[in-house]
Amino acid sequence: MSFWEHIFAFNEESPLLFTQFYFWAFFALVYALFALIMAKSEGSKAKVDGQVSNGRLHLRNVYLLFVSWFFYYKTSGLFLLILAFITISDWLIAGRIKASGEGRKAKAWLCLSVVIDLGLLAYFKYAYFFTNMVNDLFGTGFRVFDIFAYVGNGFAGAGRFSVDTIILPVGISFYIFQVISYTADVFHRRIQPVKNILDFGFYVSFFPQLVAGPIVRAEEFIPQLYKPFRLSRRAFGIAVFWILNGLAKKIIMSDYLAVNLIDRVFDNPLLFSGFENLFALFAYSLQVYADFSGYTDIAIGVAMLMGFYLPMNFNSPYKSQSPQEFWRRWHMSLGRWLKTYLYIPLGGNRQIGFGTYFWLSLIAFVSAALTGWWVWILVPFGVFMAGVFVWNKWMSRKGDASIESRKLLYANLNSFITQVLGGLWHGASWNFIIWGGINGIGMIVEKIWRKMGWHVRFASITILTAGLCVADYTTNLPAWRLFAVWAAIIWVGTAIRYVYWLCEGSDNRFTKAMGTAWAIVQTFTFITFTRLFFRSSSNLDPETANEVAWATAKNMVNQIGGAWSNAIIPDFLWEYRWVVAMFVAGMVIHWLPTNWKRRYRLAFSAMPLWLMVIAVCVAIVVIYQFVTADMQPFIYFQF
Amino acid sequence: MRPYKVLLFIAAVMACLAALCEVLPGRVAWGEKELRWPTLADVIETKDNGQGTMDNLVDTIIEPIDTIVELTDTIAAKDTIVPEKPKPVIPKVAVDSVTDSRLFLAAFYEALDHADGQMIRVLHYGDSQIEEDRMSQQIREKLQAQYGGRGAGLLPLAQTIPSRTVRQELWMNDRKITPAQGPRRYLVYGPKRDQRTDGMYGVMGQVAMMNDSLVKGSEAITAACTPLDGRPRYTQWKVFADTSIHYSFAGDTVYLSGKGKVYGLSQQSSTGVIVDNIPMRGCLGLVFTKMDRELLTRFYREQNVRLIIMQFGGNAIPSNQNPGTIQGIVKGLREQVRYIRECAPDASILFIGPSDMLTQTDGEWHTYPMVPYMDRLLRKMALEENIAYFSLYRWMGGAGSMARWQEIGLAGSDGVHFMRSGARKAGNAVADWILSGRTAKGEQTDEVNSESEVVE
Repeated sequence: MSFWEHIFAFNEESPLLFTQFYFWAFFALVYALFALIMAKSEGSKAKVDGQVSNGRLHLRNVYLLFVSWFFYYKTSGLFLLILAFITISDWLIAGRIKASGEGRKAKAWLCLSVVIDLGLLAYFKYAYFFTNMVNDLFGTGFRVFDIFAYVGNGFAGAGRFSVDTIILPVGISFYIFQVISYTADVFHRRIQPVKNILDFGFYVSFFPQLVAGPIVRAEEFIPQLYKPFRLSRRAFGIAVFWILNGLAKKIIMSDYLAVNLIDRVFDNPLLFSGFENLFALFAYSLQVYADFSGYTDIAIGVAMLMGFYLPMNFNSPYKSQSPQEFWRRWHMSLGRWLKTYLYIPLGGNRQIGFGTYFWLSLIAFVSAALTGWWVWILVPFGVFMAGVFVWNKWMSRKGDASIESRKLLYANLNSFITQVLGGLWHGASWNFIIWGGINGIGMIVEKIWRKMGWHVRFASITILTAGLCVADYTTNLPAWRLFAVWAAIIWVGTAIRYVYWLCEGSDNRFTKAMGTAWAIVQTFTFITFTRLFFRSSSNLDPETANEVAWATAKNMVNQIGGAWSNAIIPDFLWEYRWVVAMFVAGMVIHWLPTNWKRRYRLAFSAMPLWLMVIAVCVAIVVIYQFVTADMQPFIYFQF
Repeated sequence: MRPYKVLLFIAAVMACLAALCEVLPGRVAWGEKELRWPTLADVIETKDNGQGTMDNLVDTIIEPIDTIVELTDTIAAKDTIVPEKPKPVIPKVAVDSVTDSRLFLAAFYEALDHADGQMIRVLHYGDSQIEEDRMSQQIREKLQAQYGGRGAGLLPLAQTIPSRTVRQELWMNDRKITPAQGPRRYLVYGPKRDQRTDGMYGVMGQVAMMNDSLVKGSEAITAACTPLDGRPRYTQWKVFADTSIHYSFAGDTVYLSGKGKVYGLSQQSSTGVIVDNIPMRGCLGLVFTKMDRELLTRFYREQNVRLIIMQFGGNAIPSNQNPGTIQGIVKGLREQVRYIRECAPDASILFIGPSDMLTQTDGEWHTYPMVPYMDRLLRKMALEENIAYFSLYRWMGGAGSMARWQEIGLAGSDGVHFMRSGARKAGNAVADWILSGRTAKGEQTDEVNSESEVVE
């Protein structure tokens, strides 16, 4: 394949990736024409009072729309048609919503839009999941059938597309959420519908964030379509910094750790000792962060160079002191989306209604169907829901006196649903449901923990630790040992703070700092263990994904809890010294104070341009030393 | 900042990087390391790594083994494309170009044909490539489908690595324990502290000591060994242990008590073929001579062992880049083969060489230069010793094939181990190769003598 074919022809084996030269060649070409358009607009008489004419802006938007569509074609081929369909459908429906006023008609149009959008998402992402569930429930032998491939074969000739497999279009979860946010914002009158369908198409398809976010809400981005190009000297420097930062995170940190340790351990945990498995698990936590945030850093930088500002997607998530805080710092655009369009409509911390009961019931039903534990899941669930219903009615009678207790319950139930559905958004398989569920439970436990007094906290953790130790002793299972050791560590920390509280009564600066560090480490550890269920080899066939993810998680837990091998630790640390050094360096940089990071960003952006050119070249040469032979796709492309 | 300035900046960066491509000659020595930078040709021209399309790759992988056997010389030539750097001096090995080494399995085929209701045992020794009953499982299934026989065969008293075939749990005095908490285990392939001086390991290269004074008491051990779903049920239990060990069975559970050595358990049938999976993690295969000759001889004879498969060599590759060392290891393996043959004179021996194995140099995956060399040396050694040889490396497709296996999900990301699907494919290939040799046996028996003259 020639250089030009590589850039312009579709080849599923070589999509345009930020980490490859071809993307940057493509971007340079795109930017050349972009600069031409903007230069003409700046020099034309149409520029009045600093405002570029609508015609020029429109031309820029149309140009970038087609560039974005081409970019998507390079990544996903004919799935571009799905993107185009979604664009047309939601643009038309948003227009009907506006025309219908505020009544039921508008609501009906909104529902239609959501049904179409989620229907498409469900078809591509959850077809295997539902088919498997139906087969498990009724003993049928249905298989998926790709209707789009069937129709495509009608045009292109039989056999052109395979009807037996449904391929997930890259980025569909991201752009579907964007269009839903648009129609919902139009419905709630937070924004006016976009008049020009090409402008709307640009919002949906803007290439830097098209395939892996950040998920840009309509009200944040659409106003930018009508603003003139604006890029200060400092913003330019920051944009370049973000791009380099993202490339370094992805190639130096993520790919290096993955290729040299993580993939090997996750492929075959039994070949490695417990310590090696544990280290790989923590390293995977860093890898996922470096990979995903690396992508969004580059996306933000590239968008800024074109005068568009994307929202922040990560805010040093491993500095979080609680699971709740973690989810405010991790994949922030998804968190905000879920909060606005799921958590708050469910009632937030103000109420629980039909939506809450419906989703909880559905989650329980799906869990029972997947496990086959109908009685063990549905009976306790039924009792729990009845209790919630009665308790809620009873407490509601007390009025404001019970408001705090009710708020806690509402917030916990609705945030649990949000977490599980957030997990399901990542993939249609059991492991993602477990992952979301564990995160939801973690948030609830942490909220309850914070509300406890010190006596109760200490008593609770003591009982829990004792119980886990007994479970470990009686069952002798590695999983229980793992929990028992972890609980014992938390117990030690709690005991120290409890004794200190008994003696001193309040924290001083030192103990506060220690408490913060302790909370950060515990949160990082918790999030790391949830990742056992996050890493799956397949996102499409849940049967495979479940088997692989479950076997990996089980084997890793067995090794960590049962085959620790202290003797091997020094050898491992020496043999993998570069991997260990990279992990430590990554965590240290991650935990640097925000002010320090801001300072070196600003220092970079203030460099003279000639020096910045040299700095960029040096950085690229350094990054190149870590490039691996195989193309390492971004992890979040699969979602 | 105006867009044209941004464009100029991008152009300046690209120009500088392009200039670097011209200035730097691909690699620049920097202390002990090398600084890498591509040439302009590397950047602009799309690399054709000669791997072809995925369809071609699959074709390569499933190339019939017979063809590969005949292709020795051509493949040897193909090997030379691998080691671009470093380039150790590899001595040439005179490789014969004639034989189908399955002729050396003639005794095994004879035994199969004249089993007369007797049980025939096949032992599959190997390194981590066969852990979890990988490859052995397919060999067992195919042989048992054709010649009868049931059960997973030999099992250690405590299962330290899970198997796809049998799930084992260990209980001591009615309390479930981990293998580490159970009877002290000695391994012939283990670290020094886990080795014995008297060589009393048993046929699996390991022994568990009940009531060993060095460890906690183990008065009553219960081992539950549950065949996983879909496996044909075994018909009898066997325990290989000192006479001082008392045992009884109930279902899938065996109860042991007493003081002494337990060499292994076995779920098997009294007729047909039993295939035992004996993985030795990290082992070079140079350990058999450390095992008690009498113990091995007795087991091989009493259990009617008629085929011994040895699958080693892979562990020698990553840490040895010196042809001399490889020659030494192969020489050691030759000693092991001879020792095994002395212990089991009635058994045929099949040696399976290492698979293709990858290492990363400067971000590029390459086949270890020593893999093809070791493969050729092993094959030569096998033929000289009159034992059969299956080249996993050549069957996979030769140099770089592991990378293709990775791409299609057959091999792990370490570039060394198979995934389960890959192990299944390899196991089936070995089994088919063994079985098809029997079909051709009648036509080729006469050639055995002439062949042995050809071998150097």
